[in-house]
Amino acid sequence: MKKAASEPLIRFKNASLGYGKAPVLTKVDLDIAPGSFWGILGHNGSGKTTILKTMLGLIPCLRGELAEHGGLFGKPRFGYVPQKERLDPLYPLTSRAVTAMGTYRKLDLLQRLRGAGHDDIVNRCLADCGATHLAERRLSDLSGGQKQRVLIARALAAEPEILVLDEPLAGIDITTQHALLKLLKDLKDQHSLTILMVSHRVSAEKGLFTDVAWVDEGRVTTGPSTAMFASGKISEVFKSEL
Amino acid sequence: MSLIYEMLKPDFLLHHAVWGSIVVGFVCPLVGVYFVLRRLVFWGVALPQVSASGIAFAFMLQGLGLNFLAGNESQEKHLAIVGALIFTVGTILVLAALERRGAGLSEGRIGALYALAWAASILFVAWNAAGETEMLGLLKGEIVSISEADFHAMLDIFGAVTACMFLFQREFTLVSYDRDMAVTLGRNVLVWDVLLYLIIGVTISLGVMTVGPLVIFGFLVIPPLAALPWARGMASLSILSSLLGGLSAFAGFYLSFTRDLPLGPVVIGIACGVYALSSTARLIVPKSLC
Repeated sequence: MKKAASEPLIRFKNASLGYGKAPVLTKVDLDIAPGSFWGILGHNGSGKTTILKTMLGLIPCLRGELAEHGGLFGKPRFGYVPQKERLDPLYPLTSRAVTAMGTYRKLDLLQRLRGAGHDDIVNRCLADCGATHLAERRLSDLSGGQKQRVLIARALAAEPEILVLDEPLAGIDITTQHALLKLLKDLKDQHSLTILMVSHRVSAEKGLFTDVAWVDEGRVTTGPSTAMFASGKISEVFKSEL
Repeated sequence: MSLIYEMLKPDFLLHHAVWGSIVVGFVCPLVGVYFVLRRLVFWGVALPQVSASGIAFAFMLQGLGLNFLAGNESQEKHLAIVGALIFTVGTILVLAALERRGAGLSEGRIGALYALAWAASILFVAWNAAGETEMLGLLKGEIVSISEADFHAMLDIFGAVTACMFLFQREFTLVSYDRDMAVTLGRNVLVWDVLLYLIIGVTISLGVMTVGPLVIFGFLVIPPLAALPWARGMASLSILSSLLGGLSAFAGFYLSFTRDLPLGPVVIGIACGVYALSSTARLIVPKSLC
């Protein structure tokens, strides 16, 4: 069954989100429309990652409704870019091996016994992210910006409908931030992606967001980015950056 | 050279011992790689001791007259393996559940477990009314008296473990490296974790029966640590670790046999020597050449 064009990929309705039995966020209403570019903003510890983890199915929605629509058994296909610090540098993985992880959903046992892989997808995704020259280097040896490119390539290899990025610009210099944001914009257009980006600060990415979710004191306020940035609260918090 | 050739021949007196040690040396690092990468090295210390306490427990039951499985010597060994398996797999599953919940201090838990397993082993031996000498031999790892059928069964099981470790390497790597990514790809992290832990449990249980807990700990941890700086991926890490483990075992057996030295400490000494060489070479060789 094909979804209607206007049907949101993800809809939270009066949802409570959190860990165990204790909600971190309550009364969450959020519609992620196809093709949108969401900025999920708020202070450290405000609950931004909680929204993200619930969407990805890493933790359950405690109360309320979470409806999903997409091409993977009715659910959207996610491409996930975690915070780069979360990945242990001890693993001797090259950028190619890390990118290939994005295809692991598709490999079945028979294919594997025949030695078949998804090299074409991996090469294409690395190229799309400008990371072909990094393919044979260890991920742990790369700079922050280079790591981020490889992790975005890995997320793309999953052929996602929604690209989810957790603090992708943290710890990266301004020039590299601009390059990454341009990359995200190009990828969005090229792959018709919906993008969700979690950030505890706002700088260059502000211009890319179509919508913003402001997470603060257990509540989530949403709206078009222009209106949200014009409102007092975000301007006040991010006044040095806006 | 001729002695080395003689040692590998089927009619060599200690044929089972030499091949058993080499096979354990090859296979243990394959699972040990995940102890090192998941930063669970202390599991590698505690679990072989837990496995040994399982063996001691099984023999204690027999000593107390509960011979529900055991009759002859071969069956006694089977029961010992069952005891080792139950203790090891049960402990791994409990530890894994606690790790997932993030409850308490992980290192403290492992330290207490190690002490408990040692104490339990000694108590089970003390309570065993019969066969203390033989049981102490088994706890140290004695493969000399194993039957031909059991020896081949052991080789088959270790062969299956090796096949699984390579066949499912992608899944084991994915769930170890990035659990969240695995979930978003629709992978069942719990199933793959349990499968990995079962394989680890089987490997440790059989290994402890073969070469004892000290050598198993050495094989689980030292070869992967020596191989890690030189590996260019998970496959190369596994193969290199396995080769270092197998060669250390063979070299250890050769030295032990020719110089009349105890096998376990010699094997561990050689493995540690390889680790020291690897670490030193890593400091000397430029990173661009690694």
